[in-house]
Amino acid sequence: MDPLAIAMVCDFFHPNVGGVESHIYMLSTNLIRRGHKVVVITHSHSPDRVGIRWILPALKVYYLPFSTIASSATLPNFFTFLPYLRTIVIREGIGLIHAHASLSSLAHEGILHAHLMGVRTVFTDHSLFGFDDAASILTNKLLEAALRNVDAVICVSHTGRENTVLRAKLAPHTAYVIPNALVADQFRPAASMQPSDTVNVVVVSRLAYRKGIDLLVATAPRICTLFPNVRFIIGGDGPKLVDLLQMREKHTLQDRIEMLGPVRHNDVRDILVRGSIFMNTSLTESFGIAILEAACAGLYVVSTRVGGVPEILPEDMISFAHPDEDDVVRAMSEAIQLVMSGKHDPHRAHERIRGFYGWEEVAERTEKVYESVLEVKPYDFWTRIERTLELGRFVGLIFATIMIVDCLFYLFLERWIPRQDIDKVQMGWDQDRFTKLASKKPRRNSTSSNATPGVTNNALDST
Amino acid sequence: MDDDWERVLWKKKVYPDNYVPSSFLSSLTRNPNFRPYTYMSLVFSSCAINQHLSTIFTFLAVFVRLNEQLLDPRVLVWLSICGFIAVYAMWELLDYCSDNKTSTSTQRMEAALFPFGPRVHTMHPGAKTIKSSILVFLALMSLSPVLKTLTAATSSDSIWALSASLFILNALLADYTALRPETYHRERRVVAPCPTQLGLISNVWFDVARLTSVLSMNAAISAAVVLASRLPDDISVFALMLLSIQLFALFPILRRRLQGDSRAGQVLLTSVLSASSILSAASLSFTATCLIAVTLAFVTFVAPGVLVWAQKYKNEIRGTWDPAVPKVHNTERPAEFRGQSR
Repeated sequence: MDPLAIAMVCDFFHPNVGGVESHIYMLSTNLIRRGHKVVVITHSHSPDRVGIRWILPALKVYYLPFSTIASSATLPNFFTFLPYLRTIVIREGIGLIHAHASLSSLAHEGILHAHLMGVRTVFTDHSLFGFDDAASILTNKLLEAALRNVDAVICVSHTGRENTVLRAKLAPHTAYVIPNALVADQFRPAASMQPSDTVNVVVVSRLAYRKGIDLLVATAPRICTLFPNVRFIIGGDGPKLVDLLQMREKHTLQDRIEMLGPVRHNDVRDILVRGSIFMNTSLTESFGIAILEAACAGLYVVSTRVGGVPEILPEDMISFAHPDEDDVVRAMSEAIQLVMSGKHDPHRAHERIRGFYGWEEVAERTEKVYESVLEVKPYDFWTRIERTLELGRFVGLIFATIMIVDCLFYLFLERWIPRQDIDKVQMGWDQDRFTKLASKKPRRNSTSSNATPGVTNNALDST
Repeated sequence: MDDDWERVLWKKKVYPDNYVPSSFLSSLTRNPNFRPYTYMSLVFSSCAINQHLSTIFTFLAVFVRLNEQLLDPRVLVWLSICGFIAVYAMWELLDYCSDNKTSTSTQRMEAALFPFGPRVHTMHPGAKTIKSSILVFLALMSLSPVLKTLTAATSSDSIWALSASLFILNALLADYTALRPETYHRERRVVAPCPTQLGLISNVWFDVARLTSVLSMNAAISAAVVLASRLPDDISVFALMLLSIQLFALFPILRRRLQGDSRAGQVLLTSVLSASSILSAASLSFTATCLIAVTLAFVTFVAPGVLVWAQKYKNEIRGTWDPAVPKVHNTERPAEFRGQSR
């Protein structure tokens, strides 16, 4: 495929950490490796994460001065992003906008404006949403409006795809399934497991209701009673931490349940390899990258059968339980017996996962989506208006008005900041030059580029 | 045609990423818990709303009469007292009947739940009630000159607007659910040591109901206080406040208790209250009477019909993406059972 200039638009990016953030970073770097040019557009983080930054390898990030309202999301206002976006698109010669995350209003706005500059759009949805509460109804309607004229949608699991197709009322064939991936090298199993009678069960999760911590609180004491040789290692922080501590105190299991508190993503592997079973009690999970990381580190996985979890691993590497206390105990007992009998080989599991998932493959498949998007003729303006009006009697009118005002605003911008007055980017990242400079002045350059190692997958916040 | 298509992500596939398998959305279920409403059951459920609105309308009619000196406040005070005694007697009678019906096992359970039970019964609950009602009576009487002048400086227009919005708030937030029998049985014994009748009210409200119904009661009492400042003399203020406490604090408890009982009783109570509200307004204003009649008819007969009709638009979508509900045994089981569950 011809090299393409791609803009990743999302509210969630480094320096925040999380599943979406690491997904964008890994996808971008692999697309760069395949010869494309990628820029990321996100909002600034006070006090000093502002302006234009470079992140290794050759990823340019635009931090726009938008203020956030909650959990790092910006206020949806439909218009203020356009002047910035137009300048960036013209400067960088962007040919495709890839927006991420359904709660990111910057992403929605990017899709809304793209057609004005003749730029194609792809959207990746990372999470699952319900349909029955007021917040979901509102966000689903916003998503439906934003995705009305999008060229393609990527979802991370088959369950996620069904969910997104229903929420945004898409034609199913415009939604692609491309799973997440992980860097297998970061999750190597321990070199040699010293044989011991103890079975360590690892739980690394945000300690929140949605992660099913109630089930963990209910089952951990029962498992401890059933198997005197089982120990729990629980990492993570969150509102349910108190429940866990109370449970531990009540059943006097302080010596059997180890609580690690908040865990940095870089340390997750070291915690994982201390155990041989990974327990996940999530109540909803779009992809479950944490499960994959644990399986890659050689752990046998016990999980609740929710969302996209059943799709990510073959049946012999994972045990499923219903989100029911008794059934979780049943599944855990079977898993503990299986591990104690030595039937699970961590290194073989690691090699298998390495074959299943890789970012190179994800980038290749994403590239195919781009290719198919560019082959199709875009909707003309009138078709867009008509499609928007189909949204609904009131919503359709509102969004059609927004589209027309947006168009007028764009015309005004064309006159106010004429296209020819905007300087084009002439040079990209020169790796050779960077290496030469870095070797000459190692101190200064290493401080300016040390942003990179922090950006890696984060299991704790993946949704 | 897609026999070898699998719903997995780890396998390399020959199918393109946007391939739509025949099993797409097969786990989707629509309206799984659909339970069609029947018109009559909704009409019965709406009786509670009707009763509540009727009490508000009756109260307003009484206020207008007091304000225009068409009604002697002394008569109203005596009526309120007689009404209170009659209703209290009825409440005790209901308790007596239901106590006989439910076996002594509940009492044994209560004794286990509330080990301080014996102390509760040192004084007869009836005597307690009489004492506390006299206290409330006297407190209101001494407060009525203050209440009369409390918002006297505010202009009448503001008072009408304020009281109207407070009554609307009251109607919106009121608790229209039935009181569960076990709650008021328990309440009766636990609350008895509370010195005042209002103590009983607040306990019932706080324990059983949500915050909204407390807000609802407060809105109504405030509306009454605000309206009272328009009345000509202290005795009218006292009469109105007494009535407002009975109608907006005590009556809802009775209403919720009766709600669970017989349907005939519901119909009887609803028609008596509606009739009283319409009749009390009839001699005052023809327009008001029409409005009240139309409102009550709409709430009881039209609104249920609208709800039944709107149910055909119900579209609840369920699928694998919905957050699961964890099943956890909340009851703490003895340790010896815990090990044997497998």
